[in-house]
Amino acid sequence: MSFVADRRRATELRLVIFAGLITAGAYTLASLGKNSVIPPRILPFLAVLLLVLVSAHIAVRLLAPGADSTLLPVAALLNGLGYVMIARLSERLAGLQTTWTFVGVIAFTATLIVVRRVNDLARFKWSFFVVGAGLLLLPMVPGLGFSSGGARIWVNIGPVNFQPGEFAKIALALFFAAYLAESRELIRNGTWRVGRFLLPEPRDLLPLLGAWGFSVVLMVGQKDLGSSLLFFTLFIVMVWIATEKAAFMSIGLGLFALSATTAYFVFDHVQTRVSIWLDPWQSYRGRGYQIAQSMFALGSGGVGGTGLGLGDPTRIPEAKNDFIFAAIGEELGLFGASALLIAFLLIIGAGLRTAIRAKRDFAKLLAIGLTTIVGMQAFIIIGGVIRVVPLTGITLPFVSYGGSSLVANYVLLALLLRISDNTAKRLGEAPDQMSAVERFEAARARRRIARSGVTE
Amino acid sequence: MNRRIGKLALAFFALYVVLFAQLNLIQVGRKSTLDDDTRNTRQTVKNFNDPRGDIVTSDGVVIATSIASEPGDDFDWQRTYPEGDTYTSVTGYFTFAYGATGVEKVENDVLAGRTAAQQISGIGALFSGRDVTGDVEVTIDSRIQEVAKTALAGREGTVVVLEPATGAVKAMYSWPTYETNVVATHDADEAEAVFGYLDAAPGKPLLVNAYQERYMPGSTFKIITTATALDAGLVDDTTIWSEESEFLPPQTIDPIQNYGGKVCGGDLVEVFRRSCNTPFARMAIDLGPDAMVDAAERFGIGAKIPIDLPAPAASEFGDVDYFEQNLPLLGIGGFGQGNTTMVPLHMAMVAASVANGGVMMKPHVVAATFDQDGRVLRRTAPTAWRTPMSPATADRLTNLMVEVVNSGTASCCLRLSNGVQAAAKTGTAQLNMAGEPERSHAWIVAFAPAQAPRYAIVVMLKGTNAEISEGTGGTLAGPIASRVLDVALSR
Repeated sequence: MSFVADRRRATELRLVIFAGLITAGAYTLASLGKNSVIPPRILPFLAVLLLVLVSAHIAVRLLAPGADSTLLPVAALLNGLGYVMIARLSERLAGLQTTWTFVGVIAFTATLIVVRRVNDLARFKWSFFVVGAGLLLLPMVPGLGFSSGGARIWVNIGPVNFQPGEFAKIALALFFAAYLAESRELIRNGTWRVGRFLLPEPRDLLPLLGAWGFSVVLMVGQKDLGSSLLFFTLFIVMVWIATEKAAFMSIGLGLFALSATTAYFVFDHVQTRVSIWLDPWQSYRGRGYQIAQSMFALGSGGVGGTGLGLGDPTRIPEAKNDFIFAAIGEELGLFGASALLIAFLLIIGAGLRTAIRAKRDFAKLLAIGLTTIVGMQAFIIIGGVIRVVPLTGITLPFVSYGGSSLVANYVLLALLLRISDNTAKRLGEAPDQMSAVERFEAARARRRIARSGVTE
Repeated sequence: MNRRIGKLALAFFALYVVLFAQLNLIQVGRKSTLDDDTRNTRQTVKNFNDPRGDIVTSDGVVIATSIASEPGDDFDWQRTYPEGDTYTSVTGYFTFAYGATGVEKVENDVLAGRTAAQQISGIGALFSGRDVTGDVEVTIDSRIQEVAKTALAGREGTVVVLEPATGAVKAMYSWPTYETNVVATHDADEAEAVFGYLDAAPGKPLLVNAYQERYMPGSTFKIITTATALDAGLVDDTTIWSEESEFLPPQTIDPIQNYGGKVCGGDLVEVFRRSCNTPFARMAIDLGPDAMVDAAERFGIGAKIPIDLPAPAASEFGDVDYFEQNLPLLGIGGFGQGNTTMVPLHMAMVAASVANGGVMMKPHVVAATFDQDGRVLRRTAPTAWRTPMSPATADRLTNLMVEVVNSGTASCCLRLSNGVQAAAKTGTAQLNMAGEPERSHAWIVAFAPAQAPRYAIVVMLKGTNAEISEGTGGTLAGPIASRVLDVALSR
């Protein structure tokens, strides 16, 4: 008996290898462009790359055989192109990024192992709330948190620096999804009569508003505008879809306008961001420099790009990180940059398809939340880099340099795949049999039972 | 909820379409605006990283070349100047942040291999992997340039040697100058410090005072006044100026005095060799504003020096309206004082035009340019610029200038080796007002051999210190000119 799932995995394998070959090709071109030599270790590089990608694929095949077939290959392509650009900017960081990719794939596999049925997670909503809030608070802990690039969003534990916000966003998406799945009917059909209106009971709304307000206020306190904006959007989108009421969208947008205006007048750094966005040239020698360099880089790329390794992206401050999109736009041109946009649209498409197919409210809302995180985060930073919105520092998912971001996004990806696999099992697209891990654990349990001599 | 999810998908799609539209706007619509922005260093960096050819003197000394940068440098090539500051006035510099000047600037396309001819002939080089760069040969002779530097001996001023018949610059050295290798550093902080220092330094070392600045010429200007008076028929060999120590021009009660208030007079040979002032003041006033301003223009005063180097200055005399109202100043201008200012190179050109039968050639420092295979791209053809005087007048002036050397203001100091006869005119441009401490520029213009001139020279010492102010053009500038001409003529 052949399952849709088998075809999906076959497609995924081909696409993953394709992404690997594109990455290796780009890596070779970048080296040729920069140093006029074919990288001496290109074959080992290709071997390791394919090994990592195929391992991730095998993990999906064993642990989530019915999952969507495009998410992993597209993420791999983004990760690969980002790696090529980082390697082209700094060989030292490339080594670290390799490590983070390994850790990311391990975290990806671990998530698939630990989370078997996504709906089980709904039970832990308050834990997720506490974890999310705790992670967000961490950078404020004296001696632990520190500022870099103007935002206090870093935590130092032993030798490892990480941005807890990257993980907090997943925890909060889990909390929002679980809470809304549970109380969406209560919030939707208000029972609290105020004049002519029926409003949701404050009791139902409060935890939600509390969680959201807490995170946003905290983000603002840490001057992390990008994450604040991301959380705001995440919250509004999830409430809007859960309640199916446009009023909540309007209220959300109203709240957004209000807090944005307040932030503008209260915080200097918000005003600075806006004025740079409106006219970066005016403060070319100061804060507008980065955006101006980004414009120069994109302009010099033109339609076809300068070619990998042939541009000058080191002139853009933070090209490896927040501004990696400008570096890609310079060397790969409008074509390459558009390909990146399409890659993110594919992720969004696959994520929302997963949401539509999911049956339970929690899984649906979680898929929406996770997709919104990736889609909005990419939009916020790309829009900031190309001056569609004011620039707020945040990483480009899967592409930017950085361990926290990469690992968190691989976990996020694994959750999406898990939701889609659960759906596939339900719809009979994948054999509803025990996974390898489940078989292993069942066998172990049988042995234990046999040893203890307990009989049924 | 699924209908809402569809809407969310549409919303995301719309957001990404906005990104795509903006990307088009930047990468296609505004591309040329961004590329042409002066603050966009991308093209500059690319150019700066190109390999670059050599600059060599006419006798084959390499004065600018590129070597591979040290590891860790931001750029592949380091521009070096093997002769230090000796040729700074000619080569200029080639830097990243501060651009280029001198030959480095005017022949940038040749040196970087970007002329059309080089690009076409360089297509083959794409496959062989060779660099397409060009070399520039300058007219400078290394021995003359070196002696010019040695003879000037760190005094503020300049020495320029020309070939009268071609306008080729055989030596051009100015002080203060700067060490080109220091300026060419790739260290941005060091470059900023060096340029900041040079920009504020006294004596403006970043400007080549030989052709980018102008100074009061003093009596060397009498060549121009005399040529004009001779060509106009105002004076001839029979003209006699009575002995006088001062002359009261119209419109004033303040008489014009001879140098040191001496009594001075006689025929043209006499007043020229002794460099009396009053006869030339009378000549200028008798010629009148129209004729004098006209003559100044014929000599190229008021026009930028047509040299093949960046940002040349223009000499200044004054306009007709101004002199109509200020006849005494016209008289003073007749002997190179007052508001008259001359670019030193221009004074060498004036002497050279006397040596060249009255034709003033365009000065040039680029002799020829070559492509990567040594084929000539362009060779500079000698071009006449002005014809300020008749051949007969040039002849008479030559005789006058010979007398200056033999028995006049330059007799102290311009006896050349092997009995070669030089022709010269000295100048001592008084800078101080009456009652102030003496301060003057010391000048000499000369050419040799007088009857078959090979070289014309200007030496100008700025009147910045007491030593210079004590002497005259003859005693201070004369020995320098003598030393440089001796070396030049031995070549």
